[in-house]
Amino acid sequence: MGEIVLKDVEKSFGDVSVLRDINLTIKDGEFVVFVGPSGCGKSTLLRMITGLETVSGGQVVIDGEDITHTKPSSRGLAMVFQSYALFPHISVRDNIGFGLKIAGLPKAEIDAKVAQASGILGLDALLDRKPRELSGGQQQRVAIGRAIVREPAAFLFDEPLSNLDAALRVQMRIELIRLHERLATTMIYVTHDQVEAMTMADRIVVLEGGDIQQFDTPIALYDRPVNKFVAGFIGSPKMNFMEASPGPDGTVQVKGGPALKVPGLDPARMTGRMTVGIRPEHIRYAHDAGDLTGKILVEEQLGSDAFLYVEVEGIGMVTVRAVGERDFHSHQTVHLSLPPETCHVFDESDLRINEN
Amino acid sequence: MTKSVRWQLVAAVVITFVFVAPILWMVLAAFKTINDIYAIPPVWVPDFTYLDNFKLLLSENWPFLLNSTIVTLSATALCLAFALPCAFGLVYFQFGAKNFLADWILSTRMMPPIAAAVPLYMVFNGAGMLDTMPALIIAYAGFNLPFAVWVAMSFFRNIPKEIIEAARIEGCGWFQTFRIVALPLAKSGIATVATFVFIFAWNELLLALFLTTREAKTFPVVISSFSTVTKTYWELISAATIIQILPPVIFTILMQRHIVSGLTMGAVKN
Repeated sequence: MGEIVLKDVEKSFGDVSVLRDINLTIKDGEFVVFVGPSGCGKSTLLRMITGLETVSGGQVVIDGEDITHTKPSSRGLAMVFQSYALFPHISVRDNIGFGLKIAGLPKAEIDAKVAQASGILGLDALLDRKPRELSGGQQQRVAIGRAIVREPAAFLFDEPLSNLDAALRVQMRIELIRLHERLATTMIYVTHDQVEAMTMADRIVVLEGGDIQQFDTPIALYDRPVNKFVAGFIGSPKMNFMEASPGPDGTVQVKGGPALKVPGLDPARMTGRMTVGIRPEHIRYAHDAGDLTGKILVEEQLGSDAFLYVEVEGIGMVTVRAVGERDFHSHQTVHLSLPPETCHVFDESDLRINEN
Repeated sequence: MTKSVRWQLVAAVVITFVFVAPILWMVLAAFKTINDIYAIPPVWVPDFTYLDNFKLLLSENWPFLLNSTIVTLSATALCLAFALPCAFGLVYFQFGAKNFLADWILSTRMMPPIAAAVPLYMVFNGAGMLDTMPALIIAYAGFNLPFAVWVAMSFFRNIPKEIIEAARIEGCGWFQTFRIVALPLAKSGIATVATFVFIFAWNELLLALFLTTREAKTFPVVISSFSTVTKTYWELISAATIIQILPPVIFTILMQRHIVSGLTMGAVKN
């Protein structure tokens, strides 16, 4: 069991408040990712759950028990660090069995659990080595092994894949997803990489400036971001933003562009200054006609996708994701259209106001 | 060999000789009679089978050598026993005035030992501990504590913070974290501290002169007693000094591997 509830949690260092009004309920067995730019407080929040960081206000509750002031060693959690934090002076076997030994389990039981974990993680041949004799990916597996043998209430991951190269990162990501399916234990995962967040999470907490911006499923964040920050943070390449104002007949007038009839938009909520957001993959493009006309400055051709960076007069740079497209190149003129049903409208305080 | 390398070699040999010469001369003197020591022209190579100086020295003074050994080992152990947990706490515990406390500990080192000699004499006199080994052990351990705490702190700081945190999440209390994780990882630091305290305690003369008279006298005091108003016993001083410098040399050689790794630890990112 591992339901984790944060009630009005706050953290400040001296006069500097780094987290405010954090209210979260993480269900047992859920995979939750904390994501946000550096300095948003996501690691601090994780460390407060572990007890490595004290809580300035509010409560941390695991399975109905208030553990706000319980020491880390008594919380029954396991953590995987970005730097792996293996004990360099003992073997892989002893690293994995470390927590069990501290807990005073009989040696035979420790050996059995270590063997089981090393089997799952493919570490059987490495058990007698020291951590420094392993590659980064193997060290990461040992750190995960050390976490899983203890059958903790929850696993906490602090940017565990950041030190790995790109290919290994993708592989470990898949392994962690499968591990979660297999163990069905609560996992909290901190990252600044929104791709990791989108691919792994059941639900994502987007943090910015010490506040929770949105807590929802990956698809909800993508389809219905609550504000401009979430809209811009989730999705790659980033959402395009264009200045806009109220137009005739309940439309939104993009500055230097078309007037859009965005479905689900209540004209009463419009403000004088607004922002229209549209994701690069939703923009339609053509050689002959469209709402906007621009010039392709750079074409990034990936084969599967082409990213077109288009300079549109009066609007600025617009990114277009053209799936499988081979026919648009740098320095060409391109015509773009903005399908209103894919547009997001943000009011002057950057809150999303269309309801689709 | 290029010209500059050759000059460097010559310079190295000359400088080494300057430092080694007195020790070499002393080693030679230890195997000479008093007449040979004063002989002109000098007796360059003595008879190395002539051991009377050593025999005479040890027959009368071996208990003081034993005193020195007991005092030195105990002071080193006592100093480490206090300094290591203290340094660990100063590095990892969160409390107010932490830095002030660390600086204050260091500031006690700024006082010259001689300034403490008279007060120490009065304290140990009052406690009835004059001329006892515990008095010397306490004094030596105490004098080295600030230094030992600071060096040990720097070694504990070099342990990545996450490793300590990982130990705590894995279920270790502070003491277990200290014993099972921090101490083995600070091994080279401990060797460094131990070596310095060992050498200090082994060679200390001033306090030993003050605080001992007969029973608890240490070997350096014995050596100093060979230089009297009427006569200086160079042959005994030489023999005693050889015995005196051997333990630190052996101890340092044993610890050298750790000290070297200790001094370079943290120099590169691994």
